[in-house]
Amino acid sequence: MNETTIKILVAGPCGAGKTTFIRTLSQSPVVNTDVPCSTANRATTVAMDFGQLSLDRYTIHLFGAPGQDRFEFTWEVLLEGALGVLLLVSGNDATHFPQVRRISDYLLSRNPVPLVVGVTHQDHPNCWDCKEVASYLDLDPTEVIPIDATNLESASELLVRLFDLVERA
Amino acid sequence: MAIAEELNTILGRMRTSVPELSAALVATTDGLPIAHSLNSGDANRLAAMAATALGLGRRICESFGGGGFRETSVSGDEGQMYIYSAGPKAVLGVVARAGANVGLIHLEARDAASQVAQMLERR
Repeated sequence: MNETTIKILVAGPCGAGKTTFIRTLSQSPVVNTDVPCSTANRATTVAMDFGQLSLDRYTIHLFGAPGQDRFEFTWEVLLEGALGVLLLVSGNDATHFPQVRRISDYLLSRNPVPLVVGVTHQDHPNCWDCKEVASYLDLDPTEVIPIDATNLESASELLVRLFDLVERA
Repeated sequence: MAIAEELNTILGRMRTSVPELSAALVATTDGLPIAHSLNSGDANRLAAMAATALGLGRRICESFGGGGFRETSVSGDEGQMYIYSAGPKAVLGVVARAGANVGLIHLEARDAASQVAQMLERR
């Protein structure tokens, strides 16, 4: 990889919208490994998602990790060489918050890179406030933002926020 | 007969035909074990890894125009694992030490994989 190619890991619990997020941002056909989920009526990623896009003079490679804990061995593999982590969490389900914490601890203890959190499912009436999520995760409130994973503009905003952190680091 | 029981019969028959196998398991394509017969190791972990290898294998197959995915393997200095597609919903994984008879393993395991696929198809 040359200097202008940047690898970003997209992580987060199951159902947060990681695959959707990558599909929204990617400018090339996304490589995904979705299979039907045996415990819920939807699809789940088992190995990785891969999408790429150009932003300014950078080529960004987005690697999406599977959400369930049983796939944690893939997180370490996908994290290698990543310049930053985008952590997505569904804002309407507080039961996922402990797992977000576990994922972020797992990743940052292995590779301390900049991390920002995107809170998805904002259209849900019971969606948690980003400030509350930030306080739960002991993060700066500016590092947790609401996003719509299906909207290009909103998804890009999260990426830009991460870039700000990467540049400062 | 329950699914797990029926699958265990298939795994047992395969292990009898290939005594060199040290582990055999059937997992869902999203990485949960359905039936397993292991001498050692963690079935949950192995099931998740088999599903990951299968998922990745399917996409690799697609990207070079290889058609439907059939099998993939991982070989180390001391052992080897073969991972077979067993229909749209399941994956079969078998483990043997290095130097085991690969031809025999493939012969029996491919057969077992298609039995698993047929069995799950009927359900």
